[in-house]
Amino acid sequence: MDKSSLMSDGFTLMLFGMSFVFIFLTVLVFATGLMSKLISRYERNVGVIPEEGVPSPTAVIPHHEHPHSSSASPADDATVISVISAAVTKFRSRHK
Amino acid sequence: MENILHLWENTGLYQMQPGQGIMIAIGMLLLYLAINKNFEPLLLVPIGFGGVLANIPGAGLAEHGGILHIFYSVGIESGAFPLIIFMGVGAMTDFGPLLANPRTLFLGAAAQFGIFATLMGAVVLSTFGIFDFSLADAAAIGIIGGADGPTSIYVASKLAPDLLGAIAVASYSYMALVPLIQPPIMRLLTTEAERKIKMVQQRHVSQREKIIFPLLLLLLVAFLLPDAAPLLGMFCFGNLMKECAVVDRLSNTTQNSLINTVTIFLGLAVGSKLSADKFLDLTTLGILLLGMIAFSIGTASGVVMAKIMNKISTKPINPLIGSAGVSAVPMAARVSNKLGLEADPHNFLLMHAMGPNVAGLIGSAVAAGIMINYVTGG
Repeated sequence: MDKSSLMSDGFTLMLFGMSFVFIFLTVLVFATGLMSKLISRYERNVGVIPEEGVPSPTAVIPHHEHPHSSSASPADDATVISVISAAVTKFRSRHK
Repeated sequence: MENILHLWENTGLYQMQPGQGIMIAIGMLLLYLAINKNFEPLLLVPIGFGGVLANIPGAGLAEHGGILHIFYSVGIESGAFPLIIFMGVGAMTDFGPLLANPRTLFLGAAAQFGIFATLMGAVVLSTFGIFDFSLADAAAIGIIGGADGPTSIYVASKLAPDLLGAIAVASYSYMALVPLIQPPIMRLLTTEAERKIKMVQQRHVSQREKIIFPLLLLLLVAFLLPDAAPLLGMFCFGNLMKECAVVDRLSNTTQNSLINTVTIFLGLAVGSKLSADKFLDLTTLGILLLGMIAFSIGTASGVVMAKIMNKISTKPINPLIGSAGVSAVPMAARVSNKLGLEADPHNFLLMHAMGPNVAGLIGSAVAAGIMINYVTGG
């Protein structure tokens, strides 16, 4: 290989290579962005309470007539508080 | 009397050539750097010891049929060892920071400029008759600028097996020297105020994204650049094993026992290339010098790119993370973090710098694929 063609080959490889690296990674940036957007849309529902309400736990008998109503009544709170405090008392008595 | 003479002629002392003596000393120096100075000990201990073994006069460990030569032909000539290492690196890599801020991929791309600039440098040097590098040699030397040991060894074994010893030693020693080489360049190119820039907290990246990303990358490689498929394919495979969380046993083996086993043999096999007749000439010196230049240009172009992105983008980008675009994972990211802390003790850049760091790994594998494609096909 003569010297001038080596030089021009090197130059071509530099231009070609550098632009390809940039093109590849640019495509990757967009593909990754798109992927993240799709997944976050898909996952948006995870951890959010569904509109029809959460079914009440079977071990607790609901005290009110509309178990699926979204607004919490004072009686509801009282049940929750009593259940939690019972659990806390039991936990403390066991771990003393 | 004849027997004694025969015994004497078989001793190392009688057969020793000056070159071998020097190479044994260099091997010992590598061991000293590894053990006493803690420079990449995981690699320099096997490489240094392999270098000493390869130069034992008369034993022929690195010659045809010798054990080191067998390691070399099984693992490096075939390209297997660097690929297995890449799989292990994939299994240790967390793409989270990259997924949280995909634009850092541009930093990883910019830092690859060092590779191509050095390729050009090597070509210019041989045009003026200072060295005699072919295009393939120049490409293999340039890849040192990626600061990625396995990639350098892979490319060198494909394009310039004669230069493999020097290229491997250069690329691993520059990986070890990252904390010394990079900071002056980074300080030179950034102002105090730029170094104090705080970056926005990264968003949470879900497990699903982390599982899909390696598959996405693999598909892109398959479509666009099949020549990078061996390196990036193994990398993605390792990463998928880690992230999918259903094959923890395989992933643990890949990250630990397998990569360690292969590192031992890779090191010894690279060491076997440190034989006096191949290593002790001016070309090696040229490679070490060009590698250093490659690495510095890569660092500089990463920082400059980060400065440009900071100007354009709405979210602030600290230019210090640009230097992490050279792949040396995770040293380069640690250096960015250290300089950030120096400027402002509350500025933690480590996680932000891991993004470009991993991007650099992908970038240099892509660059390697292009070089192999162009040189072997063109």
